[in-house]
Amino acid sequence: MADEFIKGLGILTGAGLAWMVLASWYRTSSFESTKQLIEPLSSGATEGIFNIIAVTLMDVFLWFAILGALTFWVLIPAGHQVMSALEERRNAQ
Amino acid sequence: MSDNESETKEIRTDGTGIVAPDNETPTWSERKARKTGLSRLTYEYFERARREDQDLRTESDYVERDVLAFPTWPHETVRNLSIASFFVGMILFLSATMPPHIGAPANPSQTPAIILPDWYLYWSFGLLKLNPLNPELAILGGQKIMADRTYGVLANGVVVGFIAIVPFLNKGSARRPVEQPFWAAVGVAGVVFAMTISLLAVKNLMPMNVDLLFDLTFLLPIVFGTVTYAVLKTMREGYMYNLNRRYYRLRPPK
Repeated sequence: MADEFIKGLGILTGAGLAWMVLASWYRTSSFESTKQLIEPLSSGATEGIFNIIAVTLMDVFLWFAILGALTFWVLIPAGHQVMSALEERRNAQ
Repeated sequence: MSDNESETKEIRTDGTGIVAPDNETPTWSERKARKTGLSRLTYEYFERARREDQDLRTESDYVERDVLAFPTWPHETVRNLSIASFFVGMILFLSATMPPHIGAPANPSQTPAIILPDWYLYWSFGLLKLNPLNPELAILGGQKIMADRTYGVLANGVVVGFIAIVPFLNKGSARRPVEQPFWAAVGVAGVVFAMTISLLAVKNLMPMNVDLLFDLTFLLPIVFGTVTYAVLKTMREGYMYNLNRRYYRLRPPK
């Protein structure tokens, strides 16, 4: 259980950090804004191959952080619970 | 002294006899298969440390220590170096990768629209915004006994005074919150109040109703304190507090 927790936490913090760095370039007009990191893409974000790669990676990291943490904190433990419940039911019969 | 003799007289510091010696400790996959892995591991760890300390104490050529702890070198130093390296690396990483935002230079001849102290003084700044709490006394014909700003400054004295009194009310003999749920709840309420009063200080920037923010400033600490108290009380029962009391009260031997 502790292993699953640290895997989820590592994914959440690692991918979240990478997302934060990219979003600070492409979705932040000012660090005093109340919508920094979640603003619409700044102008010129879709020009040039490197910008396109970075904007794509930003979304990839964001969803990896969310889905990765959900997987290790919710899906896999729930799967274990289901498996052990099924096992118990099979043994009881 | 022969090899055999030195072997038999050697101090066994690996806790053999109480728990499994190093060459019998389970592998990681075996540990993972255990359902009680963490609690068992914790037990073995402390039991082994206790046994090691006991063995060393019983040896007469060992200097008696009254402090049960890890040595500064290498244990603590390596641990601290790794933590320091992590944070230095974090600072380097962020300063190298994030875009610089350098605002316009300050204009000393003009007061900014929003003035704020440094963030760690927000709580004190928030205490200056307690105007609705300053009572309008009927005996003075609905007048306030003191100006709102005086009231705010005196509020600082109340908070600082309470913090100064706490050490006299509670001597701090508890090692873990579960030992004294009430005082743990007081502490949590204080921390939450420090945060909420800080948010009240920046109410111009808070994207929510100011009256609601003012009410939450005083309600949230009570809510969090109550929840803390309830959770810690429940933990006592869940962990069979009375049965395990001595584990909660582990102290270095006198």
